[in-house]
Amino acid sequence: MNDAVLSFDGIRQDFPSPGGGAVRVIDGIGFEVGNGKFVAVIGPSGCGKSTLLQMAAGLLMPTRGQVRHRGRTIDAVNREVGFVPQQAQLFPWKTLAENVELPLLLRGVAAPERRQRVGAALEAVGLDGFEQYFPNQLSGGMQKRGSIARTLIYRPDVILMDEPFGALDAQTRMVMQDDLQALSRDAGASVLFVTHDITEAVLLADRVVIMSQRPSRLLADIPIDLARPRNVFEPFKNPGYEAAYEAVWSVFRSQIDIRQRAH
Amino acid sequence: MDDVATTAGASGATGMSAARRSLASKAGRLSARLLPGIAILVFWQWASGRLIKEIYVSKPTAVAVRLYELFASGEIYPHLWTTGEELVLGYVIGVAGGILGGYALGRSPRLANIFEPYVMGFYGIPKIALAPLFIIWFGIGIGSKVALASIMVFFLVFYNVYTGVRSVDRELVNLSLVMGANQRQLTYHVYLPAAAPFVLLGMRMAVPYSVIGVIVGEFTSSISGLGLFIHEASSTYDPAGVFAGIAILLAFVVGANFLAGRLERRLLRWKVPMKQAPSDI
Repeated sequence: MNDAVLSFDGIRQDFPSPGGGAVRVIDGIGFEVGNGKFVAVIGPSGCGKSTLLQMAAGLLMPTRGQVRHRGRTIDAVNREVGFVPQQAQLFPWKTLAENVELPLLLRGVAAPERRQRVGAALEAVGLDGFEQYFPNQLSGGMQKRGSIARTLIYRPDVILMDEPFGALDAQTRMVMQDDLQALSRDAGASVLFVTHDITEAVLLADRVVIMSQRPSRLLADIPIDLARPRNVFEPFKNPGYEAAYEAVWSVFRSQIDIRQRAH
Repeated sequence: MDDVATTAGASGATGMSAARRSLASKAGRLSARLLPGIAILVFWQWASGRLIKEIYVSKPTAVAVRLYELFASGEIYPHLWTTGEELVLGYVIGVAGGILGGYALGRSPRLANIFEPYVMGFYGIPKIALAPLFIIWFGIGIGSKVALASIMVFFLVFYNVYTGVRSVDRELVNLSLVMGANQRQLTYHVYLPAAAPFVLLGMRMAVPYSVIGVIVGEFTSSISGLGLFIHEASSTYDPAGVFAGIAILLAFVVGANFLAGRLERRLLRWKVPMKQAPSDI
């Protein structure tokens, strides 16, 4: 594929184990994220899903293999991507507006443009009016919105999301999923989305990448051809949802069976 | 004693009375706080001459008179000036060194690996034991006192800053790097604000230590200063003079603590949660 924005090629990752020697976490993973596509990665916990995101952000170099962003091999911190972590990780000592402004400030954008873009970004995530609040004065969902606004504001072409909605309550999560669907489409960015929730993966993604248990390999790379916009509130009402879920689950279930037998 | 009186829907009149009530409760809190202090002073005044000879403990009124005389005659000013200078210099040098050293070792695991055991070792030395040596090294003037105070302040601040910098969330740092931060921006936007509570705590804890350092230095050997004044008063059986000197030191520590508290509240504004958080989405 020529239009791949992000590509993982023969990735292997070993981590030093406490008792000396090494633990192989990832053993040969390769897939691509197409331009403007939403790719979800699912896998059992500890299989190195988040590790892939760290590699894409240039925070961790793979033991073997390469990660390429628009054809360029990532060998240092990758400032061209956006990263939305599991916790919102807003800076507690900065107000919401200062938090969202920070990437622009760090990148030397002039003050008037910063103000204007902060206003637009906060409005896009529905947080206008909360500019002067500190993060600890905001609810979990609002912090998450702030975190997303902070990432969208510098218009990265790839957004890496690490179980961003895992810590939210069920209702907030659905609303956030619905908003993310619209936001990522409007931003035109590709999204690499790590989750352990099959429903979430099927509802949001154009493709679902399934990883096995450690040392993890690629089990399947399943296209999800549901029409957009999708109804995230009533998943089963999307035509073709059941088949898509079944396609992912039939692969994923083997991983869960293995776990139960091990106990 | 929280004032939850002002809830939504409070009209102007009840708002007024709530304000008055909160003022009254504030005054109540203050007087409750002053009470033990007053009780001690009264007991001291009463016991002096009755339970204990006045020559041993003096009495509050005598101390007050002595304080007044010291300031009225101007006798105390040279001492105040010397000690004040030593305190400020010792404190500032110690804090600056502590922040720089703590930050450098906190940021660089390699430096920390080399120097931490040494700092730990020196930390364990009772600095007061160094006082006579410092007099030899830095002279009988303010140099030796500044050195003693700053070394005591240094270790406190150093350890707080070191701990603070090392406790910065690695994920926040990584996130800032991806957002585009260079090393200087990382220091300014992430490490310093994250370490600020630790730095301020260290600075606050260091105030009494700078006083101890200076006074011990002056006790050991000096030509001027509050420590010398207290030392002379006690060796001439003048407890009123001793307590007058201590009262001045106390006033200094309380004043410095107040300033540090103000600074802390200002810089750590973000730590104080608002009374009512807005509702979700």
